[in-house]
Amino acid sequence: MRKLITFVGSTLVAIGLLSGMTVAADDARVMQEKQAAEMVDTTAYKKDGPYKIGVAAGYMGNSWVVFTLQHIRYEASLHDEITEVLVTDAAFNPTKQVADIEDLISKGVDLILYWPVDDKAIEGALQKAKEKGIPTINTGGGFVDSPSVTASVFIDQWNLGEMVARRLFQDMGGKGKIFAMLPIAGTTAAVDQLAALKEVMKEYPDIELLTAEYGDWNRAKAKQITENLLQKYPEIDGVFSPAGQMSIGVAEAFDEAGRLGEVVMSPGDEYNGWLKWVRANNQGGAVTFPTRVGQESLRLGMRILRGESVRKGMKVPSEYISPGAAGVYAEMDRPDDWWASELPEEWKPQ
Amino acid sequence: MRSPFTSLLSSKYGIIVLLGLTVLFAFIFVPEFGTVNNLTNIAIQSAPLAILAIGQTVVIIAGLIDLSVGMLLGLIVVIIADLMQGESSMTVVAILAALGLGGGVGMINGLLNNLLRIHPLILTFGMLSILQGLIFVYTDRSVGQVSSEFSWMANGTVIGVPFAIILLMFVALLTSFLLYKTRLGAHIFAVGGGEEQARRAGIMTGRVKIWAFIISGVSAGVAGMLVAGRLGTGYPNAGVGYELDAIVAVVLGGTSLAGGRGSILGTIAAVFVLGVASNILNLMEISSFVQIFVKGLIVVIAILLNQPKRIIAS
Amino acid sequence: MSDRMGAEIDGVQTKIWRWASSNAIWVVLALLFAIAALLSDAFLRPVYIFNVVRQAAPVGIAAIGVTLVMILGGVDLSVGAVISLTAVLTAVLMDGQVANIPLAVTVALAAGACIGGINGTLIAYNRISPFILTLGMAVVVTGMTQIYSGGTARGIVSPGFREFFNYRIGGIVPVLALTFLGLALLGVRLQQTTKFCRNLYLIGSNPQAAELSGLPVKRITIFAYALSGLMGAMAGIALLARSGVSSTFAGRGLEFDVLAAVILGGTTFQGGRGGIGGTIAAVFVLLIAFNLVNIVGLDYNAQLIVKGAIIIIASSAYIYFKKVR
Repeated sequence: MRKLITFVGSTLVAIGLLSGMTVAADDARVMQEKQAAEMVDTTAYKKDGPYKIGVAAGYMGNSWVVFTLQHIRYEASLHDEITEVLVTDAAFNPTKQVADIEDLISKGVDLILYWPVDDKAIEGALQKAKEKGIPTINTGGGFVDSPSVTASVFIDQWNLGEMVARRLFQDMGGKGKIFAMLPIAGTTAAVDQLAALKEVMKEYPDIELLTAEYGDWNRAKAKQITENLLQKYPEIDGVFSPAGQMSIGVAEAFDEAGRLGEVVMSPGDEYNGWLKWVRANNQGGAVTFPTRVGQESLRLGMRILRGESVRKGMKVPSEYISPGAAGVYAEMDRPDDWWASELPEEWKPQ
Repeated sequence: MRSPFTSLLSSKYGIIVLLGLTVLFAFIFVPEFGTVNNLTNIAIQSAPLAILAIGQTVVIIAGLIDLSVGMLLGLIVVIIADLMQGESSMTVVAILAALGLGGGVGMINGLLNNLLRIHPLILTFGMLSILQGLIFVYTDRSVGQVSSEFSWMANGTVIGVPFAIILLMFVALLTSFLLYKTRLGAHIFAVGGGEEQARRAGIMTGRVKIWAFIISGVSAGVAGMLVAGRLGTGYPNAGVGYELDAIVAVVLGGTSLAGGRGSILGTIAAVFVLGVASNILNLMEISSFVQIFVKGLIVVIAILLNQPKRIIAS
Repeated sequence: MSDRMGAEIDGVQTKIWRWASSNAIWVVLALLFAIAALLSDAFLRPVYIFNVVRQAAPVGIAAIGVTLVMILGGVDLSVGAVISLTAVLTAVLMDGQVANIPLAVTVALAAGACIGGINGTLIAYNRISPFILTLGMAVVVTGMTQIYSGGTARGIVSPGFREFFNYRIGGIVPVLALTFLGLALLGVRLQQTTKFCRNLYLIGSNPQAAELSGLPVKRITIFAYALSGLMGAMAGIALLARSGVSSTFAGRGLEFDVLAAVILGGTTFQGGRGGIGGTIAAVFVLLIAFNLVNIVGLDYNAQLIVKGAIIIIASSAYIYFKKVR
């Protein structure tokens, strides 16, 4: 009897603890979902065409962004009422992006799509746009809840990190030593992906995170860091690397050290170089980071200009693609620095 | 052989003439340029770099160079935003912290420069890396929030004139006074012109160099305050690349990297040439890739037009 | 008896000091290597050591060229941009075909030499700061790369190209590492034997005197910068060979790694001093410093701090050894 009480009691406590933990962990997530589901009244932004669209790019220096921008241009070509698309490039400098947004306002654009260098840093500039009656749409990275941002069309970095982590741990059989290869320190991508990884790790006590490194989206740097880690750690069972661009550098280093057999690579994204690798090695797969987020963003913008009420956050979901299926998406006659996308041929970057 | 036009451009006032021409071009060909709103934007956008570049002008006149200012500015932005957390009561503390931190790191640069006797470019390059590390020890994401006073300092106006420009003018006048009217200023020119002669003339060259670095550090503090006000938050990479923009502006403004001569006015004009150029390229809807190319060309052409006529025999 | 022994020991000591002071950067490298080997046995494994040599190739090759212009009293900050341009250009021209390799490599090298030649010509015929001119040129070249590529590194490397350079001779030495060491040795040899390199030192230590004595200063200047551009192009190709190309900014910031190495290696901004040997040693000092903090397992932020400290300390140690002489 006493045993039973202890058992039931401890089970209850355990369940309580577990559910409490999940609730706490999911709190921020639930909160965000709720905020994203809020409807935005856009009647104040309603106006007739023709429209000038402004794109304030936080950076242009990578192929994902180039594809996303092509999606925006493609969507614009489908609307006769759009007369031009103005693009500025802040080259990773937040003060330049603030200036760019101000310049776009001076230029009289009717809608601003942007991807931030840093969300908080451009809030003031976005506020100025709002005061001038120009809607702003955060495009890409993550959801932003700020009064100065009209809506977000986003890819959930946290969710993506979680999907990648779960798949990796499953593929590893739930135990082993891993390291994480993350983008530039301090970016939303790096912060959210690491947080998601650590969250999922709580469910997998037998997974040990050896170290988290920042490869700056740079294939050469990812390779160099991995060459060092291979020396430091005699046992590495898995690599958490959501960015395919860096995953190739990581995998190459393992391969050259003759240790590719011992390691499980996490899914990357639909970066063509990575898809080629997946096809050749039939492992890893991909969790997509869809470039069509650009197209969805402009579509949403057009609805706002028509005065339709929209959700505060529109998620463009990441999807898991198994290694076998991912191989099909690989375009072998295309460069590595290329993205699998649904863009019509003539709108792909030339 | 040279036309009066080219010789004017390549004169001491070349950069100011160039600024005039750029602005004239903009007024004629870019309709949105001349609006009060746009002009205010350019002024506000250019002020932090101008202040940073004034400090850099002083170290370069002293025959030194300071690459650490970009990351120093970044560190200051992060720390003061975190200190304030949006509280107006912390404004004064944040100002003191910015100036103190800037001056303090400048002094360390100066002391190390004298102690270790390695090339200042290498020293401050190392310091840049150390400061960047410190930023990321402190935080890996945007932290804190500036007070409304800070926002106003960076974005507000006094009877139509942006406060940032008033601050810039104050810094420029103060630095000019320091350089041209005080003994320290004369010594800075002397040390930059020839350290050995300066030493023989009885100048405490080590102390002069420490002061030059302190001035540069303090300027990073003031510029950091404006950048923090502009961003509203402590963004860890806020200072990346500022050091190079500052050095480019200093040299375009007619200050010689060899030290010994230079011009605060020229530096400020150069910052505004770059700021106006960037603004009109945006307004003229030039593709961002072409913009990069054009900006590079502007630097190359400006430096070609603005070269000294003859090397002064040493 | 004991006096004589003392004197002999003194003599040996002086000799050691003299040797150490004239090879200061090598002493620093040896010390750092010893420390590295103590902290991690990775540095005792030949395969890893040659990995390090291969990692050093892009920066190292570019640094050889920059050393030459700095001996001349100039500097070349456009190498990072040249590396980005040539890495992208080579891959685009290769277009996945083996037959295109010679054309791609030739055009990339020509582009590098041409940019260097423009730098050299502008500097030779004008009295401008090479620091700012080449910095401006870096921005111009970066813009050209972006315009040409449209923002994606859209080339496809020919099959076999990367495999060739990464093939390990005897299972240990990658061809790329060997190529780098070969270029370095060639550079050191040319520096000691050719009239061109002797002239570089003469011009660097006293440009006016060199001009008065009838040296073709302008021609030498142009040639030196063109060489630097050429080496930059080789570095771009080396980067492509080492890790493939995944960005149009592959060489961004490398000019500062190059500059740090050249100065640390004993070549000064004033010109007339230093040499390729010191530069090569310094490239390894900086690279081992980075790898060491990485291997020891410091955080990213600590890595930056230690890297900065090592740059400062190593430079100071170098000055110290120099002074002892």
